[in-house]
Amino acid sequence: MDVFIAQIINGLSQGSIYVLLVTAFNLMLLVARIIQFAYPQFVVLAMYASWLVLEKSGNVILAALAAIAVSVLLNLLSEPIFRRINNIEKIDINASFVASMGLSMIIVEIMSHSINNGFPVSFPDYWTGENIIDFNYINIGRGELAALLGGIILVALFFYLLYHTHYGRVFRAIAEDRKTAKKVGLPILKSNLLSYLIAGILGGIIAILFSMFLGSASPWLGETVALKVLAVSITAGLGNLTGGLYVGLGLGILESLAIGYFSGSWSDVIAFLLMLVVVLSKPQGLFGAALE
Amino acid sequence: MSYFIGYTLIYILMTWSIYLPYRVKDLHFLNVAIMAVTAYFSAVAAVNWGWPFYLVLITAIFIGIIISFVISKVIGDVPTFTVVIVGITFIFIVKTIIENSDYLGGTMGFFAIPFLDHPLIIMGGITLFFAYILYMLNHSQIGKAASVIFSDKKMAHSLGINVKNIGRLFQTISSAMAGSAGVLYAYFTGSLFPDFFSFHLVGTLMTILFIGGYTTMWGVIPAAILLGGVPVFLPSAVSSWKILIYGVLLVAVILINPEGIITKKMLWKLKNKFIS
Amino acid sequence: MSDNLLEIKNMELKYGSIRAVKGIDLSLKKGEIVSLIGSNGAGKSSLLKGIMNIEKKSGKVIFKDKDITKLSTEKIVSRGISIIPEGHLIFSSMSVWENLQLGHYQGNNKIDIKNIYEYFPILEERKEQKAGTLSGGEQQMLSIGRALLAGPELILVDEPSLGLAPQVVNNIFKIMKRLNEEGYTILLAEQNVKRSLELADRAYVLKTGEIIKEGSASQMKVKKWMYL
Repeated sequence: MDVFIAQIINGLSQGSIYVLLVTAFNLMLLVARIIQFAYPQFVVLAMYASWLVLEKSGNVILAALAAIAVSVLLNLLSEPIFRRINNIEKIDINASFVASMGLSMIIVEIMSHSINNGFPVSFPDYWTGENIIDFNYINIGRGELAALLGGIILVALFFYLLYHTHYGRVFRAIAEDRKTAKKVGLPILKSNLLSYLIAGILGGIIAILFSMFLGSASPWLGETVALKVLAVSITAGLGNLTGGLYVGLGLGILESLAIGYFSGSWSDVIAFLLMLVVVLSKPQGLFGAALE
Repeated sequence: MSYFIGYTLIYILMTWSIYLPYRVKDLHFLNVAIMAVTAYFSAVAAVNWGWPFYLVLITAIFIGIIISFVISKVIGDVPTFTVVIVGITFIFIVKTIIENSDYLGGTMGFFAIPFLDHPLIIMGGITLFFAYILYMLNHSQIGKAASVIFSDKKMAHSLGINVKNIGRLFQTISSAMAGSAGVLYAYFTGSLFPDFFSFHLVGTLMTILFIGGYTTMWGVIPAAILLGGVPVFLPSAVSSWKILIYGVLLVAVILINPEGIITKKMLWKLKNKFIS
Repeated sequence: MSDNLLEIKNMELKYGSIRAVKGIDLSLKKGEIVSLIGSNGAGKSSLLKGIMNIEKKSGKVIFKDKDITKLSTEKIVSRGISIIPEGHLIFSSMSVWENLQLGHYQGNNKIDIKNIYEYFPILEERKEQKAGTLSGGEQQMLSIGRALLAGPELILVDEPSLGLAPQVVNNIFKIMKRLNEEGYTILLAEQNVKRSLELADRAYVLKTGEIIKEGSASQMKVKKWMYL
């Protein structure tokens, strides 16, 4: 029973990370109108950035700032690329998917060639922390707690932003009907940029939480996570924020339970298989897509 | 040199199997999984069971068609991204099964697949065969209908075009291509590694398709020569950066001219030049 | 310092190779209600969209003596022109109050939500309701209210009677009259000629993108052939 609880908690923490990633992914989908397949790669690169800083200086605060800075930079730099893509008339949203696949390939290769000779990196103990809760056989590490709490706080903040601030309303208006939003004078360009900025900041924080939770990073981490985030988003319904919450958490818990019984890559298979089944029975997603 | 031609032909075939479904906006990544299946099937059939090549080829094509047909029947007419998930999931499944199976060589690989006597002739023949099929399809009513589906699915429905059936047809034929490509790959390289049939391959094929141009079947040829064949000549230090270069090219082509190098317009102009 | 609030010089608007607006010159004085009359496809809506730079156009648009031809829609709204788009477009998933708040984006503070509620008490009643659940007429009012909150001097109204029941249409035209009395200048694109001429001071008749007639509304009312 203890093992089960530990797995659930672990699953919730992992799910928390998925939820944050899917939320950022959906934000870009709704406001910037792009499928940002490379977003998790940006996060992993940010993780690497903080690792490098930790290696060189051991300064925790600098490392955290590095992660956020790198993530914000990457996201803002990608903005003109996607803006240009969206401005080309013959294009639809698939083009952003293909372009972000390209970006993903670039980043993964950079990571596997230049950082640590392509070997996975592991984060030092003072970063990931020891177990905070030791109760019978339930060990909850600082990393797990951070991911869980961080996730809850960030998601709450995000929804507050979306539903109780002016820009949140602008976002939702643009997401619902971009054309009308433009007609009535809403700031489309500014909102676009803002969404990238938010995604960037969020990405940096996700990188910090994820590295604390996982304790390591590798070039192919991003690939698997990117596929899962895409799958979660499609399964929940493209652009559906609350759907993403449930499916993201669900996936985390599922994987955690599965890992207890199957080896690593099989649990991935199970995850995808289950999402596939859901998507086949409800092609618009479990909770309905928010887009046409 | 023969490696160059051989790899080029294989990549042409593989990319065509992505090109055809994309004619109706389907990103049918399942074909990469099918390639893996047929490649390993050929390996096992040739090495362990001693099957002759042509039997393997026919069976493999059959396997590809069956897998694709069954799955597309189950899927029906769904949004593009559902098709993507199907493909991703199966690539994962197949790859994991192979990696965890000692019988299939696991991550270490499967070796000693016999070589063909006249590989290039056979591969060239198969490629030409499918080129002919693609050409016939594109220049038929079905081809025109496909173009309508690509530009506006809803309108296609309202014009009475059977979107589902055309999608299924394309998926099935493309899987036949993928199946052949898997077999040829196995016999040509002599050894198989599960790592090859991963998302990297998807990325490579997408790059070839988009650089060459996805609006016609011909763009794939020069792109496959450049991106699939030429790397054979490059020293291994450079070729390990292959994927990075592909990524850069992919982003660049989408930004500069998303329709790729060889487009319908360009072919039209060329045709008119030759006629007049 | 010209007399005109709005001046359009030689506007041309193309959709691909189709010219929807062909070389139109037009002007508006402050406090006027001017009507654009014409059948479907005459170019009325396109003209309004061209002014707001929602669609690409050539020519010149001068508002309050400043050239606004190349400004973004967002900037044009902040300068003082609001459009009530065709189909009374509102954001269905958001509440009435949220929709109105969006209009307030420009923060001109010339007018407050309380004023809007005075114009349209029903909106205050329904302020927490999702805009998609409102009736057609109420949505039109919401659309107007939102446009007003941006604090415009000039209001462009695109086919306000489209899709609305006659009684509701009456109401909308009454509202426009009242707005004009309160000082708003209105440029109206409307297929319903009779209503249009009853409301307007002046009118332009458009056909396939060109102005074929202009004059005061009273002049036009007399000519039967105007009823296209």
